[in-house]
Amino acid sequence: MKTLITCTVNGEERTALADTRDTLLELLRDRLGLTGAKEGCGNGNCGTCTVLVDGAAVCSCLMLAQEAPGHDILTIEGVAQGGALHPIQQVLVERGGTQCGFCTPGIVLSAKALLDATAAPTDAEIRHAIAGNLCRCTGYGKIVEAIASAAVAMKGQ
Amino acid sequence: MAAKASSAYQVIGKRLPRVDAKERVTGQAIYPADLNLPGMVHAKLLRSPHAHARIRGIDASRAEALAGVLAVVTAADFPELPIGATIPMGETGYDMWMVAGINLARGKVHWVGQPVAGVAAVDVHVAEAALALIAVEYEPLPAVLDVAAAMTPGAPVLHEHVVTKGVEPRPRAPSNICSRTVIARGDTARALGGAAATQRIKVEVDTAHQGYLEPQVVVAQVDANGFATVWASTQGQFTAELMIARMLGMPQSQLKVVPLEIGGGFGGKIAIHGEAVAVRLAQKCGRPVKLAFTREEVLQGGSGPPAGALIDVAVGADEDGRLVAIEGTFRIDAGGLPGLSPSLLMQAAAALYQTPNLNLEGYDVVTNKPRTEAYRGPGGIQAAFAMEQAMDALCQRLHLDPLKFRRLNASVTGSTMPIGTPFPSIGLTTILERVAEHASWTDPLPKGRCARGRGLAIGYWRGTSMTSAGHITIAGDGRPMVTMGAIDLSGTRTTMAQVVAEEFGLSSSDIHVSTGDTKSVGYSDGAAGSRVARTMTAALVEASRDALAQLSRRAAEKLQCRREDLKYARGVFGSRQAGGPAISLAELMQATLTDGAVVGRGVSTKLPLGVEIGAHVCDVAVDTATGQVTVLRYTAFQDVGLALNPAAVEGQIEGSVVQGLGWALTEGFDYGPDGRLRNASLLDYRMPTALDVPKIECVLVETPVPNVPYGVRGVGEVPIVPPAACVANAIARATGVRLTRMPMTPERVLRALLEAGRP
Repeated sequence: MKTLITCTVNGEERTALADTRDTLLELLRDRLGLTGAKEGCGNGNCGTCTVLVDGAAVCSCLMLAQEAPGHDILTIEGVAQGGALHPIQQVLVERGGTQCGFCTPGIVLSAKALLDATAAPTDAEIRHAIAGNLCRCTGYGKIVEAIASAAVAMKGQ
Repeated sequence: MAAKASSAYQVIGKRLPRVDAKERVTGQAIYPADLNLPGMVHAKLLRSPHAHARIRGIDASRAEALAGVLAVVTAADFPELPIGATIPMGETGYDMWMVAGINLARGKVHWVGQPVAGVAAVDVHVAEAALALIAVEYEPLPAVLDVAAAMTPGAPVLHEHVVTKGVEPRPRAPSNICSRTVIARGDTARALGGAAATQRIKVEVDTAHQGYLEPQVVVAQVDANGFATVWASTQGQFTAELMIARMLGMPQSQLKVVPLEIGGGFGGKIAIHGEAVAVRLAQKCGRPVKLAFTREEVLQGGSGPPAGALIDVAVGADEDGRLVAIEGTFRIDAGGLPGLSPSLLMQAAAALYQTPNLNLEGYDVVTNKPRTEAYRGPGGIQAAFAMEQAMDALCQRLHLDPLKFRRLNASVTGSTMPIGTPFPSIGLTTILERVAEHASWTDPLPKGRCARGRGLAIGYWRGTSMTSAGHITIAGDGRPMVTMGAIDLSGTRTTMAQVVAEEFGLSSSDIHVSTGDTKSVGYSDGAAGSRVARTMTAALVEASRDALAQLSRRAAEKLQCRREDLKYARGVFGSRQAGGPAISLAELMQATLTDGAVVGRGVSTKLPLGVEIGAHVCDVAVDTATGQVTVLRYTAFQDVGLALNPAAVEGQIEGSVVQGLGWALTEGFDYGPDGRLRNASLLDYRMPTALDVPKIECVLVETPVPNVPYGVRGVGEVPIVPPAACVANAIARATGVRLTRMPMTPERVLRALLEAGRP
């Protein structure tokens, strides 16, 4: 069965016809064309599908599309503003924090949830914040350094 | 070209960000799963529930009758390939009979999860419902799941046609031992008997997984003329094309493979996994088809894990610690289809040590588990887990410093490799000197609550060369536009922009690099064996010089001077005479665009090997109450030849080490007695998270490879070779207990401690 879903994605009201079995990830990727969130496992273990729901990092593969109305959803497509990269994105670029890139959108959003709440996180807090985001290419070191550096950059803004 | 240090160059050797990084951090990078074509339908594969069974028959009529189902295919829809069928790849070719088997079973299934049929339907839900309606009549057969059991006489035989190769006289009875490989010189038994000290060790390594985060996805479309386009996540578009064409019996000229971004491969995306099935479904239903694996499919038999192994090693030394013999038996758990060579494992084990007596035996053994495939330095980590522990234990026995022992026995340039040829230029002794003076080795081990130890292990990976091709078109503004035949697995677009920028005397931001599809660039082998950076550099140096030669002819004409009177620097041709005329590349191209295209081309084949060598040092803490091992500090020393981009090189090393730590400590496949994988999810198959690993420190040593442009050496694979042994050696030094089963999970560590009476 298909139903119409209306929700707020990246600040815009969006409406799509969705299967009642669709997850939020499927709604975003297959119905709204926002393919930045990835499906790495489909059961909440890898974090590649991470989006922010009302500011909290959520695995969009674990949330049904039917639950989306009434929530403010931020995907990777909504992070850069007016063509300017967010500081987290900028430092990930500069410091080799992205390789194959499949985990990167999820990492950016988990890091954003952290830095929006914690201005000067410790190394342990950063590692904890992205512990739900698997990365198989970087070994995490350059990502953790980048997030710490982004925190400094955001403080200066 | 005389090899120089990376600091001698303008663009090469700089820590530049990846040219494709912005697409990645904004979610704009396109992987096959992101592709949605008009009218596209969705495919699913029916997989074997049995570890070993004969297929008596397949009846798909009920599935075909289901509303929304557009096509069903089985092996009967593909030509049967003869045993021994191969496709071209590098110097050796690739077993196509095996590849057909991992894509669709024919006659028999050999592991749980082996594909048996494919369905295309209007959506995934209908496709899944259709799978349940395909009636497959199986005759279950006894299965054999571990290597030792599979080698035992009387074990259930997987393949009636397989008799052991490499044994004289040739056996008559079929066997699960597909081949025996021997590397031997001297008299090892005698040398071990007369050694001042000998050390034996037997290790078992569980199969694991490459763990790329992007499951296999393919989109296939067939146009009205029958021409097929396949958008794939692949390590080699040409290899994929060869495989798809061969499986379908289709001319390669009727097929194009377009490589999109790849969400990690690590060896697991060399072979195709469903691409040919998707094309056949698209041919049958006349609509574009997307086939996407779930994570469970990836793990449960849908894509090959790296090989498990059962290894015995014996090493002996004289009183001074000089090695007198190395002996080893390497049994590879190849999974359900034959054709894996134990040679790489044997070479990885022994190459870095000089010994007069060497006896290595390898066995390729089939078991009723998924056919294994490559994983970053295939066989290396398994081999090192055995050999480096044996060497470390030998040092303990002789009361020798493990670093001094390795310096004493290290292979050097010109030493004999296991295969009998001399080592090309290698920097192992330089690496070991760097270890000796580095804080990671000289700092005292910090005190803490748990037992602590420091481990050392070295690693070797041979790598390959094979073929790379690319071409450079000069744009109307004079900038080089590079198309290469290799996909970008490791930052290749960035490093190749640096190489071409260096050749043209331009900035890397002036260079545009893209990966070509199989109809827009020359044949290249895939991204595997640490070969692309080295061989694509050679191809693009040639292409750059070809383009510059063409440009200089045009410049001479425009400036009305002889070519030998021209000089070129930083994008400008000018007369050698002071005050003479000059013309920039942009002006030259604008003035001569309509004279025709400037296309420089380059091909590299059979380049000298750029073997990889590393030494790792780690500190661990072992909680003797729980068996939990924590890696406190980790340092990787590596001879990288010449670092085209040190940030990219570090990225390769750091990621590779963490993969190695994962297999060392938590990653292992857990098969039930029925051959079903019991941990087929990323919750139960436990890869390292950011909380599980320390920052990996990298120390780069540069020993350029002779007769290779810029001296580039492979870098991406060897860092996964030492980690498990390095951690095991640290555990042994912390607790006095040797761990011989990998991964070294808390349960296994605790059990080993209890057995040794050391909790």
